[in-house]
Amino acid sequence: MLRILGSARRFCDGASRRDFLQIGAFGAGLTLADMLRGGTAQAAAKKQPSRSRKSAIMIYLPGGPSHMDMYDLKPDAPVEFRGEFKAIDTNVPGVQICEHMPLQAKMWDKLACVRSLVSVDEHSDTLVMTGYPDRVNRIAEHPSFGSVVSKLRGEDAGAVPPFVSLRGMSRGTEPGYLGIAHRPFTPGGQGNSNLRLANGVTLDRLEDRKGLLGAFDDTRREIDATGSMAGMDAYTEKAMEMVTAGVVRDALDLKKEDPKVVERYKGVESFLTARRLVEAGVGCVTLSIGGWDTHGQNFTTLKRQLPQVDKGIANLIQDLHDRGMAEDVVTVMWGEFGRTPKVNMNAGRDHWSPVMSAMIAGGGLKMGQAVGASTAKGERPKDRPYSVPQLLSTIYRAMGIDPSQTFNNGAGRPMYILDEREPVKELLG
Amino acid sequence: MKRLLLTLAALSALSAPARAAEAGLSAYPPKLALKGVEDCPQIVVTETRADGRAFDLSGSATYTVSDAKVARVDATGRVFPLANGTTEITITANGRTVKVPLTAEKMDAPQPLNYPNQVSPIFTKLSCSSGGCHGKIAGQNGFRLSLLGFDPAFDYENLLKETRGRRVFPAAPERSLLLTKAAGIVPHGGGKKMDPDGEEFKIVRRWIASGMPYGNPTDPTVSKITVFPENRVVDRKGRQQLAVYAHYSDGTVEDVTRRAQYESNDTDIASVSESGVVNTQNVTGQAGVMARFNGFVTVFRATVPRGGDAAAFDFKPNTVVDTHTANKWKELNIAPSALASDEVFMRRAYLDLTGTLPDVKDVLAFAESKDAAKREKLIDQLLDTPEYAYFFANKWADILRVKRRNQPDRAYGTFAFHTWIREAVAADKPYDEFVRDILCAIGDESKSPPTVWYKEVRTPENFVDDVSQVFLGQRMACANCHHHPYEKWSQDDYWGMAAFFGRVGFKPVVTPGRAQQNQQNQRQALFVKSTGNVQNKRTNKTADPKPLDADPMLTGTDEDPRAKFADWMTSPKNPFFAKTVANRYWAHFFGRGIVDPIDDMRVTNPPSNPELLDALAKNLVDNKFSLKELIRTICKSRTYQLSAEPTELNKNDKQSFARYYPKRLQAEVLFDAVAKLTDSPTAFPGLPTDKFAPNRAIMLPDESFASYFLDVTGRPQRISACECERVNDASLAMTLHLLNSQEVQDKIARASGRADRLAKDPRPDAEKVTELFVLATGQKPSAEKLKLALEHIAKHEKTKKTAYENIVWALLNTKGFLFNQ
Repeated sequence: MLRILGSARRFCDGASRRDFLQIGAFGAGLTLADMLRGGTAQAAAKKQPSRSRKSAIMIYLPGGPSHMDMYDLKPDAPVEFRGEFKAIDTNVPGVQICEHMPLQAKMWDKLACVRSLVSVDEHSDTLVMTGYPDRVNRIAEHPSFGSVVSKLRGEDAGAVPPFVSLRGMSRGTEPGYLGIAHRPFTPGGQGNSNLRLANGVTLDRLEDRKGLLGAFDDTRREIDATGSMAGMDAYTEKAMEMVTAGVVRDALDLKKEDPKVVERYKGVESFLTARRLVEAGVGCVTLSIGGWDTHGQNFTTLKRQLPQVDKGIANLIQDLHDRGMAEDVVTVMWGEFGRTPKVNMNAGRDHWSPVMSAMIAGGGLKMGQAVGASTAKGERPKDRPYSVPQLLSTIYRAMGIDPSQTFNNGAGRPMYILDEREPVKELLG
Repeated sequence: MKRLLLTLAALSALSAPARAAEAGLSAYPPKLALKGVEDCPQIVVTETRADGRAFDLSGSATYTVSDAKVARVDATGRVFPLANGTTEITITANGRTVKVPLTAEKMDAPQPLNYPNQVSPIFTKLSCSSGGCHGKIAGQNGFRLSLLGFDPAFDYENLLKETRGRRVFPAAPERSLLLTKAAGIVPHGGGKKMDPDGEEFKIVRRWIASGMPYGNPTDPTVSKITVFPENRVVDRKGRQQLAVYAHYSDGTVEDVTRRAQYESNDTDIASVSESGVVNTQNVTGQAGVMARFNGFVTVFRATVPRGGDAAAFDFKPNTVVDTHTANKWKELNIAPSALASDEVFMRRAYLDLTGTLPDVKDVLAFAESKDAAKREKLIDQLLDTPEYAYFFANKWADILRVKRRNQPDRAYGTFAFHTWIREAVAADKPYDEFVRDILCAIGDESKSPPTVWYKEVRTPENFVDDVSQVFLGQRMACANCHHHPYEKWSQDDYWGMAAFFGRVGFKPVVTPGRAQQNQQNQRQALFVKSTGNVQNKRTNKTADPKPLDADPMLTGTDEDPRAKFADWMTSPKNPFFAKTVANRYWAHFFGRGIVDPIDDMRVTNPPSNPELLDALAKNLVDNKFSLKELIRTICKSRTYQLSAEPTELNKNDKQSFARYYPKRLQAEVLFDAVAKLTDSPTAFPGLPTDKFAPNRAIMLPDESFASYFLDVTGRPQRISACECERVNDASLAMTLHLLNSQEVQDKIARASGRADRLAKDPRPDAEKVTELFVLATGQKPSAEKLKLALEHIAKHEKTKKTAYENIVWALLNTKGFLFNQ
């Protein structure tokens, strides 16, 4: 797994400074200029060991979903704790989940959850997306998971953006010190409309223009020692291809999907879009669904939302299996924290960061289990407490990315992708 | 203690390069006095040829010891004493011979060991204490060493006392966990680091066996390290053996070549091995090779000249710049490119000084002018434009982090600070005063705009990081938590600087009738408290205010500590201050610093042309810190006028400025250039829209003006004080945006925009196309391109606007437009 570092050495300090520089050329410090200095991009790609082409789908449930009403039911707790919902058996003996998620229950051998995650009390996606709480990241500017994927895929990403956010920009999707080049591609934003021919331009006209550009643009790229000119030429080719072939545009266009399939995803189409995007080669897709800040009417709200989420997850994971992509795509679903184990006077639950749950699937991780447990009334981890960055670390590893890899921030300081990076061992199998 | 006894006289004699000018073979050190079996120094053998060039033959010479019982020498030139006695080493290479007398003593009894001097460096050299392993804050599997062994006392405690002392076992030293792990005898996550027969193993074993001494308080400590040679011209694919010496507080000197760590700052030019052998590659240029031992660093500078015949060139200096660049080219055996044409020079100067594309009529008039001094006059003229002030204010606003964070209540402050900077640039406020006013800013931000700097510099740590990076070219952030790995700076240096911030206080300025809000977003006043301090994170004690390499500065309760700090910083004697801004401005015009990266002026990251940097710094001091004068010196030089076209004699040059290095237009400049080329300016929301309002991206006062164009072309968000945050690399999103965005297409196709007006213009097409080319690229089209453009217009005779749009589109996407060259 650590081979993405360009070296078969697994030891903590095996890399000398010189190795590091070589690693840098294919990993950390990758710029197109580096690759072009070392020959063509293709030649550089050949020199390195096979790079992971795994993808991640990160589903964010904004507001903080109630752990006690989804993956960590407590049927034996007093009624003011256990709430209205019943637990049902899954197809894995010993694991029970909420009655309103029957589709997942039938396929738990393909899913897993962690029930002993410790979070922080912040209404922000920063922790689950970057591995650092918002209060730290306002200063430290650690990058989003997807931005790291974008950085590592670099120029090798082909004619698809490496990081796509189906939920716009947020604190947690920012690339921080990796630089704005690694912001997510946000369909609906300007980046997306650039994939369609601009109004007033036809394909013929674009060809016409391309001809002129070819004739006018005779500056020799060799005069530029930084490789930036050569990079621009390579990008012009690629950009033209993106506009004319439209792989990403097609992936985002659900009209290109079988109507029967679209029907299966009715109401949760973003799950389908995410699947189509990873099929097209996107490295990280993030989406969100529902509002989970259920200070009041928790059960009414969840009764409406849980079946939707259930439908999205079940279809997505089944589709990935049917396409033989389950091992190559890791999916995670979580929010910013859990909710108070004791139901409040408004039939709601409030913020509760001492413990929360996350659902995780695929990526070659060990499925069909529920990792860790909370205490009898769902108040805090009973055993195997894990932090949010630890689960992120597990996802990085599943992607073939070593979370102890460093990138330099603006002050020249090498920053680890994650400071806290012991993985969730049970998931590694 | 083992010591290689070199007399100081011998040392100074050999470090003088004049001595090397005599042709012949020499050895360094010239004689050896070895104490103890572990004293195994390196000999550096140098052949000096008739032309004065020196060549390293340490690896190919033959070494013979007259008395083989006293010592032996291995093939690399390393000497191993064997028994007490006196003998002589005869070194033969290329038919020449040199002799090194040698005495060896104290061979019978082992010398006493000292943990910081002899044992700790082993863990550093074998990277046990590296940041990826036991040196990290959390240690590795429960065992922690200080990063790179900078705190040996801490490491000693951990080794001896943690985990119930099982790491060292004096009764059976070789069964100590420390050794069995390091030698891979028991499983070790870090693998096998020591060979049980190797020197390191033996020293650690002997140290354990002798009861793990830390050393006496009176034992000498390292006071500096030196390298031999300090710099040398090495051919391509050449080799240079280094020797590194630790100088101790008692005046003794010890060879630590095999115990020091090495690192090259440019492995394309030179790499370095663990035993201090520098190997140059096949690239012309210069590299710095760092050696590190016990918290001290030094650097060897390798200059790799172009091979082949001497490159002759004639280069009449215009300013002091040219003397030093030409000297460097001679040293590297390269030659400068020809001078750029008037058209190219004009576009270059306009873009570099004002961030603006020149008007067509100005380009043509400039090219036609017969005035011999027209280039110099152009520079003077551009320095007086408002665009110059806006463009450089934008540059300073980046690193001074003029940042609104999308908070409307902060706009007052950011606008005021930006205006203050711009007015200072326009009036050529002396740089020392400019910096002093920011550092010592005090009062209400409505009256004292530089206090807005302190809205992003809120803590002592922010203060040290930003001050050192922006004004001193030092990246101090490392020393917040540990000794700087590539500099001499310790945590005490860091917290000494932080202490100057200790009495800075903030309070909100209340607006009547408005509820108190988040203080950082509200208007604020900065005041100096009569007490207050900063705690040194290492000692947990109050840090005394102390600038770098200077004595502590204590201040009375009625004084502002920052004022003394500003005195120190802006003094002409300050070794960092003038050089940092000179280098920053040089990089602005030449696309690369003399020290690169520009804010990383470490000892171990030497300038590519030290004399040039010194001359620029002196120029600045001599001219009372006038930045306009600095720009004149840089831009009126002949070096700045060179063409970007490489020649056979400089095609690999990327750091000695033998030609102009093309630069992609930065985000704001490109945005404005697109607006000018298409004649479709953009109004930014939130700014006035009358005809006098600033409508150019270089004029934006802060970062919070949303623009996808500016984002994809690399505008920084001002999250750091590093110019590196601005991205001028190519990117796919940027190319897509220029090629195919509605934004750019709408600008091109705007009714009464450039294409529309040209289509309707009755002048001949050839004239109009020529004008477009001059506007976009600064140059007239070749006959071939003109013909092609005219054919294109003919093809679209009925829809001429379409044809002109296509031509504008194509020009806008050429490298001739996107780059300043």
